[in-house]
Amino acid sequence: MTQSPSETEAHPLQGFVDGVAAAVGGTAEIQFDTAKVRVPAEGWVEAHTTARDQHDLVFFSWLSATDWANTVEAGDSLADEVEERIELMTALSDLTEGRLVIFSTDLDKADPRIPTLVNVYAGANWHEREAHEMFGIDFEGHPNLIHLYLPDSFVGNPLRKSYPLLSREVKPWPGTVDVEAMPDGADEPSRENPES
Amino acid sequence: MTIDSDVVRHLSEAQVSVELETGDMTLNIGPQHPSTHGVLRLVARVDGERCFDVKPVIGYMHRGYEKLAEVRNYPQITTIVNRIDWVSGYANEVPFITAAEKLMEVEVPERAQYIRLILTEMARISSHLVFNASYPLELGAATPLFFALRERERVLDLLESVTGGRFHPNFNRIGGVKPAYGSGSNTRKQIQDLPAGFFAETRVAMDQVAEAVDQLEDLVAGNEIILARTRGVGVLPPEVAAAYGVSGPNLRASGVPFDLRKTQDYLPYDKFDFDVITAPNGDCWDRWHVRLQEIRESTKIVQQAIDSIPAGPLQAKVPKVIKVPAGQTYVRAENPKGEMGYYIVSDGGQGPYRLKIRSASFSNISILPWILEGALVPDIIAIMGSLDFVLGDVDR
Amino acid sequence: MPEWVTDLFSNFWVSLGGKLALVALLIPLVGMVIGFAEMKLSAKMQYRIGPYFAGGRWGWAQLIADGVKFFQKEDIIPTDADRPVFKSAPILVLVGTVALFVVIPFGPNLIFRDLDVGIFYALAISSLSTIGVLMAGWSSANKYSLIGGLRAAGQLIAYELPLVLAVVGSVIMAGTMSMQGIVQAQIDAGYPYVIFQFVGFAIFMIATLAELTRIPFDMPIAESELVMGYVTEYSGFRFLFFFLAEFANMFTMSAIAATLFLGGYWLPGVPEDVLAYAGPVILIAKVFLLVFVMIWFRWTFPRFREDQLQGLAWKWLVPLALVNIAVTATLKVVL
Repeated sequence: MTQSPSETEAHPLQGFVDGVAAAVGGTAEIQFDTAKVRVPAEGWVEAHTTARDQHDLVFFSWLSATDWANTVEAGDSLADEVEERIELMTALSDLTEGRLVIFSTDLDKADPRIPTLVNVYAGANWHEREAHEMFGIDFEGHPNLIHLYLPDSFVGNPLRKSYPLLSREVKPWPGTVDVEAMPDGADEPSRENPES
Repeated sequence: MTIDSDVVRHLSEAQVSVELETGDMTLNIGPQHPSTHGVLRLVARVDGERCFDVKPVIGYMHRGYEKLAEVRNYPQITTIVNRIDWVSGYANEVPFITAAEKLMEVEVPERAQYIRLILTEMARISSHLVFNASYPLELGAATPLFFALRERERVLDLLESVTGGRFHPNFNRIGGVKPAYGSGSNTRKQIQDLPAGFFAETRVAMDQVAEAVDQLEDLVAGNEIILARTRGVGVLPPEVAAAYGVSGPNLRASGVPFDLRKTQDYLPYDKFDFDVITAPNGDCWDRWHVRLQEIRESTKIVQQAIDSIPAGPLQAKVPKVIKVPAGQTYVRAENPKGEMGYYIVSDGGQGPYRLKIRSASFSNISILPWILEGALVPDIIAIMGSLDFVLGDVDR
Repeated sequence: MPEWVTDLFSNFWVSLGGKLALVALLIPLVGMVIGFAEMKLSAKMQYRIGPYFAGGRWGWAQLIADGVKFFQKEDIIPTDADRPVFKSAPILVLVGTVALFVVIPFGPNLIFRDLDVGIFYALAISSLSTIGVLMAGWSSANKYSLIGGLRAAGQLIAYELPLVLAVVGSVIMAGTMSMQGIVQAQIDAGYPYVIFQFVGFAIFMIATLAELTRIPFDMPIAESELVMGYVTEYSGFRFLFFFLAEFANMFTMSAIAATLFLGGYWLPGVPEDVLAYAGPVILIAKVFLLVFVMIWFRWTFPRFREDQLQGLAWKWLVPLALVNIAVTATLKVVL
C-alpha cells in the first residue's frame, strides 16, 4: 500500500509532475506518494495559471502554510536546525484521474506577503483568509482579507510556532501515556494486571 | 431587580435590528436557527423576498484542531479527529491513520483494511440518511425524517457493537484497527475479533436499508411540490464547483464523475463493484438524488466486502511508542461530505510538526455567496440544505 | 322541557350566560379533538405512537394537559411590540373562527341561525382572520414575524378568491345562499352536489388548506425558515388562541365543505325523521373524513414557495373556478 522513495521503478505520477514543474519553472519531488513542486515566490500566480490551463489541474483543494521555526512555544521542536521561513502550500488536482500536486513556496518570516490567487481560483478566497489570520500572511489584492474563524478583536497568529498554547502554560507536555500494550508486547504491571 | 429597558432595546437591536425602511432589509439568519446545520450565521440583504448579498459568518465552533494536533501524539490525535465531521464519525479517522502509516511504511493487514472499508461505508450510509431525514424537513415534509432515522438506528447499533461508539468510534490504530481485549484482569492476551453475529446482522441491516431507500424514493422523489422546490434551484456549474473546491456528492451532481474511492488506493475499493452516481443538472434535486442512490451503492459494497473478507491479524506489528519518521505526505479520502485530506509534516517525533486538515464542508460552503445571489429566501434554505454540510467540518 | 327550565332561559342574561358557556366549551373541545386526531394520525403515518402517557395508554388527556400548560405560562410581550395590536390579534383570529359556527347546519332544525345569506356571511366573517394575522406579524417587533405576516397577507388574500368562486357553483345549483336551503336542495335533488361540482370541491379544499396556512401552504409559518413566522413572539394563552383557531377552523371549513358539496347532515337513503337524530352524527363523520385528508396532506407534502403558491392561486385556481361557474350557470339555464 505504501511506496518508499527508494524503490527503483518510477512513481506513476513522476512523468506528470516533471512536466508540470518544467512548465512553471520549479523543482519536483515525490515522497510518500505525494507530489510536490517548489516554485519561487515571484512566479506564484503564473504557476497556478499555467497549472490550471495547461495541465488540467482545475480543482482547488486547499491552501495553507507551515511555520518552520527553531524555537516552538508549544509541542516538540525540530530535531535539526532549519532555515526560518513560512512555507505556503496549495494543493491542486485534476478531475479525471485524481492526480494531486502540491505547490509550495517560501515566504520571508518577518514580512510574509504574496499576491492573491482569487483571480485564478475563486475558492482561494476563504483559504487565504484563514492563512492570513493563522499565520499573518498578507495576500496582496485580496478583496476581503478579514478574519474568518477568529473574532474580529483577536490579536496574534495562532498557528505560528511562537504562539503559546494556554493549556500548555499551565500543564507541561506530559510525554507518552500509553494505556494499551501492543499485541505480544512486554507485560507491565498496571492497575488492571497487578503483579502477583 | 429592575431591568433597564434601554439596555434591553439595544440588545434586541443588536441581534435582530428592526430597521423597517422600505428599501432593503438585512436579515440575520442564525447562528441559532432551525435550518442551519449548526452555528452558521448568514447575513443576508434582502429586498422583499429576494436576497442579493449573502455573507456567511463562520468560526463559532472553531476548536483549533491544527494547533491541538501539534501538542499531541498520533494515538491521541486519533481520538479527537473523528469529531470533525461528527455525523460520519469513522470516516474522519481513516485518512489520518493512512497518512501516518504511509510515513511509517507500515503494511496494514488485509482484514483490517476490509474492516475499515466496511465501517467507512456504514458511516457513509449513516451520513446520507441524516441528509435524507433533514433535507425534506427543511422543505416542510416531516415524514421522511422518521423513515430515514429509523434505518440509521440499525447502522448505528452495528457500529456500536464493533467499536463501542455510535458517533466517535476511535477504532483505528496505527497499523490496523483496534484489536479488542476481553475485560478484567484475566484476558489480557486474548484478542477479540469482530463481535459474534456481526456479519449476519449487517447483511440483514443492509437489506433493510436498501428497502428504506426504496420507501424514501417513493415518498419524496415523485412529489410534485418537492420537484417544484428543488428543480432548477441552486444550479452549480462544474467549473465553478471545481474552482471553489466543492467535492463529493455536490460535485457529482453537477455531472463530474469524480470519486476518490475509484482513483485513490487508501482502501481496497478496487476489489468491489460499484457505480459512481452522477446527475446532469447540478440543482438541489440532483444533489438529493445522488446522495440517496449512494446509500444503495454503499449497501452493495458492504455486502460484497462481507462476502470476501479474508482472515488474518487485525493490526500490524508496530513499536510500543509510535514515532513517525520525518517526511511529508497528503492523503485524501472520499468522505460522505466530500474530499477529506490530512497533510502531515513529520519530524521524527511522537506527534506531527504540522497537521493540515482539509475538510470537505469548508470548501462546500465557500460557494454560498456565489450560489445564493439572487435567490429567494425560502431557496436559501433549500440550497443550504442540499449542500449537506456540518459545522464541525467547516470550523474544525 | 320542564316549566322552570324554559322560564329560566327566557331571562336574557341567563340565556346569554348559557350561550357563552356553550361557546367556551365547544370551541376548545372541537379544537382538542381535532388536535388529538392530528397527533395520533401523524404518529401512525410516521411509525410512532403519538401521545401515550397522558390519560392512560391512549393519551387522550394530552391536549387537555397542553391547554392547561399554555394557560399558566408567563405572558411575554416584546418590549418594542405595539401592545394593543399585539394583544388583539389573536382575538380577531379566534373570533373569525367562532362566528362560523353560527351557520353550520347540524340537523334539519339544529342550526344556530339560518341566515338568508348564510354562505356569504360565512365567507365574509372568515376573512376577519386575515386582518388578525397581519396585525400579529406587524406588531411583534421581529423581522421574521414581519416576513411571515407579509407572506400571510399575500397568501390569504390570494386564496380568498378561489374560495369564494368555488362556492358559487353550488349556490347556483341550489338557488339559495342559506345553508339549510342548500342542504334541502340536495335532499330534493337526491344526490350531493360533489358529483357535478367536483372541480369546485377540489378548489374549495385547496383554498381551505391555504386559508388555514397548513402545509403545503404554510409559508407564513414555515417552521424551518422563519422559526414560527407571524406567531413567533406569541407565548402562553395568546399562542393557544392561534392554535385553537387553526384546529377549530379546520372543523368549520370542513363542515361548510360537507354542507355545500357532500350533502351536509343528509345521506341518500336515510328517511327524514331519522335525520333529526342522525344528522349531527352524519355531518361529523363527513367532517372527520375531510379533516383526515387535510392531516394526510400535511404530513406528506413539503411546502410551496411563496411565488409558486401565488402562481397556483392566480394562474390556475381562479380561472378554473370561473370556468366552473360559467359551465354551471349555462347548464342550469339550459337543462
